[in-house]
Amino acid sequence: MVTHPQVRKQARPNPALAPIQQFWQKRSPDLIPPIIGIAVFLTVWQLVSSSGITRLPGPLSLWTDTRTRELLLYPFYDLGGLNKGLFWQTWASLGRVAQGYTAAAVVGIAVGVLVGTNPWLNKATYPIFQFLRMVAPLAWVPIALVALQQNQPAAIFVIFITAVWPILINTIEGVRQIPEDYDNVAKVLQLSRKDYYLNILFPSALPYIFTGLRIAIGLAWLAIIAAEIVMSGIVGIGFFIWDAYQQNYISEIILAVFYIGFVGLLLDRAIAFLQTKIAPARK
Amino acid sequence: MSLLVAVDQVDKVFSLSDGDEYIALKGIDLTIKKGEFVSFIGHSGCGKSTLLNMIAGLSLPSSGVLTLEGKKITEPGPDRMVVFQNYSLLPWRSVRENIALAVNSVYGDKPKGERLAIVEEHINLVGLQQAADKWPDQLSGGMKQRVAIARALAIRPKLLLLDEPFGALDALTRGNLQTQLMRICDENNVTVVMVTHDVDEAVLLSDRIVMLTNGPGAEIGNILEVDIPRPRQRMEVVEHPSYYSLRSEIIYFLNQQKRIKKLRARKTTAVARHGLEKVNLDIGFVPLTACAPVAIAKEKGFFAKHGLEEVNLTRETSWRGIVDGIAGGYLDAAQMPSGMPLWFSLGGHKNTPLPVVSALTMTRNGNAITLSRRFYDQGVHSLNAFRDMLHRTPDTQHRMGMVHPSSMHNLLLRYWLAAGGIDPDRDLALQTIPPAQMVVDLKNNAIDGFCVGEPWNLRAAMDEVGFTIATDREIYDGHPGKVLGVREDWAAAYPNTHIALTKALLDACRYCADPENELEIRQILSQRAYLGTPIDYIHLGDPNTKVCELQKPMREYAHHLFFGDGANRPSRTEHLWHMTQLARWGDVPFPRNWLEILERIVRVDVYSTAARELGLLDAKFTRGSIHLFDGTDFDAQDPIGYLNSLAIKRDITIAEVVFDGRMAALAA
Repeated sequence: MVTHPQVRKQARPNPALAPIQQFWQKRSPDLIPPIIGIAVFLTVWQLVSSSGITRLPGPLSLWTDTRTRELLLYPFYDLGGLNKGLFWQTWASLGRVAQGYTAAAVVGIAVGVLVGTNPWLNKATYPIFQFLRMVAPLAWVPIALVALQQNQPAAIFVIFITAVWPILINTIEGVRQIPEDYDNVAKVLQLSRKDYYLNILFPSALPYIFTGLRIAIGLAWLAIIAAEIVMSGIVGIGFFIWDAYQQNYISEIILAVFYIGFVGLLLDRAIAFLQTKIAPARK
Repeated sequence: MSLLVAVDQVDKVFSLSDGDEYIALKGIDLTIKKGEFVSFIGHSGCGKSTLLNMIAGLSLPSSGVLTLEGKKITEPGPDRMVVFQNYSLLPWRSVRENIALAVNSVYGDKPKGERLAIVEEHINLVGLQQAADKWPDQLSGGMKQRVAIARALAIRPKLLLLDEPFGALDALTRGNLQTQLMRICDENNVTVVMVTHDVDEAVLLSDRIVMLTNGPGAEIGNILEVDIPRPRQRMEVVEHPSYYSLRSEIIYFLNQQKRIKKLRARKTTAVARHGLEKVNLDIGFVPLTACAPVAIAKEKGFFAKHGLEEVNLTRETSWRGIVDGIAGGYLDAAQMPSGMPLWFSLGGHKNTPLPVVSALTMTRNGNAITLSRRFYDQGVHSLNAFRDMLHRTPDTQHRMGMVHPSSMHNLLLRYWLAAGGIDPDRDLALQTIPPAQMVVDLKNNAIDGFCVGEPWNLRAAMDEVGFTIATDREIYDGHPGKVLGVREDWAAAYPNTHIALTKALLDACRYCADPENELEIRQILSQRAYLGTPIDYIHLGDPNTKVCELQKPMREYAHHLFFGDGANRPSRTEHLWHMTQLARWGDVPFPRNWLEILERIVRVDVYSTAARELGLLDAKFTRGSIHLFDGTDFDAQDPIGYLNSLAIKRDITIAEVVFDGRMAALAA
């Protein structure tokens, strides 16, 4: 072996970039594959749409189409009525989800604990819950409209009815799955009802409840888009898509779809983060 | 010590999903005193945890009552704190919080500071100061178990219930925790019930060990008292003379349970063939030179020759195995010590008479009494010298070994001692020890001598750990050694098989008595399936030498008599002698209806048929009266008068022995 006389110059580290560099060094094995995956997906999509096989515009149209570029650059404009930036559209949808989902969480967990601790009640309600769970969110829309007469409460009801089942059923299961050992500890110590709920039942059932909450948030977000498409004339990302379709602004639809997907991802991560804070996994 | 827990006739029945019922426990009776440490031991699924859970109140009995200090147990409560097998710590609470939950719940009325102090005290008690703020998933198994014990002790339960507390731990941790638990229990005088499957753990920790039989319908098989003083140290416990006998007792019990389970699963049905009701037989024997007829009948095809084509020999290491096999009905027949059929029939086993009959005496003689070599060196060469030595040293506990209360060895040894003026129970302590263990125990000075069948006397002499002080020929020449024993109900169910079996063994006895076959027999006996001992130790014996030669290196060969004039015919006189001796030493009552019992037990009819079919004409009808070395003659005229004339004896009871009229049908 011959040693190279020339010593390669080390790139001088930029102190401001140091943390980013460190982060990149640590996480690059996790980050590179998804970045490549997304890039390939977008490229293929762009190629397919420019080849003329489909009328669907490519991802580049988000920028090349003027209307869409404006929507992309100015999400916060508000010209009154339904003419609002995408942030406000999304915000309105999220507001409905928040109301319906909160109601679903409260009702789902409360009824779930009640049913889960009472075997008789569980047997009595099981077929009803399984039956109602199977009804698609969109099927609830006409029922909700007939029953409530107004768009806003009907939309919230659809969110509620979609989100409540996974929370309810997972809570029931979580309560039923409390290890017998913990129950035995509670029995031997003769814990009070309050102590039992706080120290045994909830901590033990929490992982199940959170699984239900995570499934439910995804379903709720799916449901609101579907509901808004049907209920015309309200501010919301769902109706925005429908409106764009009616007016043949196809690239606007694609932009909205990106918003929807991204918000959905954020919601799921948010609940997951909440879970690690409230109920850290312990064996 | 006052009574804490009483379990009275408790059954536990589980209903299964298919509508059937599973009887887990049946007729459990148990009392636990304050401050006692009681262990439940048994195979998995025997219901020991179920019993513990019933004491805890976590499950209720199907029938019967459990009480704690006289109050019926109807629900769980902190006065009976359980330490569960898998620790059952709440994973979302730290060590301190786990203990605090219990303390706060039970001592809710005490001020906060006091409660905190209790928590800290118990964290210190189990040495977990460093880990007090850790989560359970950060702890090792041993530490978790310590938290569970601390949590249990913190609320000062009247009774601490431990469900296989150390089962999942490695040996080192287990040992440490056992020591800690023992210390804590001793210091705080805690009453403990522990479920375990670890024999050593049970002996080390317990005052009493409750052994449960296998389910379904598990019962208490036996309760052992552990007489090892406290405080105990692991090493000292192992050295204690009771340790190994307790340990082997439990292991024997567990093995027996395992075998019963296997036998239950096998469910043999009688295979009838060649006009015999049953040709598939399980025959028990104990590896001794005297088992030669059984071994030869199998190896040389005498069983098959007489139609018994599927004979399976079961090698038991102790007579107790034979007793359990016959009582449990999973041995068809067995080689038995000559007194055992009577001992069974008169209620020697669990105080319930079980009629066992004998149609054949398979061997005579072949036994001897061996004393430790050191007595020889001290000049103890005779019975009188032995007696003088015993009376000179009344403070030393001398122990001698014998194999079973009903065996000829026990009766011969006792007779010999008593004739020399030694009370076998007061001047000595006789212990029941399996034959193969005698020489080892003699070597370890655990016993001072023994009476046992060959090859163990010879072996003790050859290994120079003991010497033969008297052979059986000097005490009672021609005494019956081993007999064939079967249950009376078995004999009634399979009469032709009984005759065929007697014929096969009688044929084998004849073969054994032929000097030409001696080497072959010794070779067969030395195999692992039989004695598993070098051939040099095994001798069938020269029936002509009579007296053991003390000067010539004390190696007296056995004097087995397998066949000969009147040797094999079961004798009522001999059985009567056994009856008197068993009664003399208090093992069984002397039956007022002794004539009737002899008629039923001694099956001369079966023997005669067998002998006639073999073409053997048993000329002599009676062997006459029995001559013993102390000059007494025993005849069958007045057994009760004979008993009364004996100087050294226990309290003799005379009672009518009534056999249960119904015969348990063995053949399904």
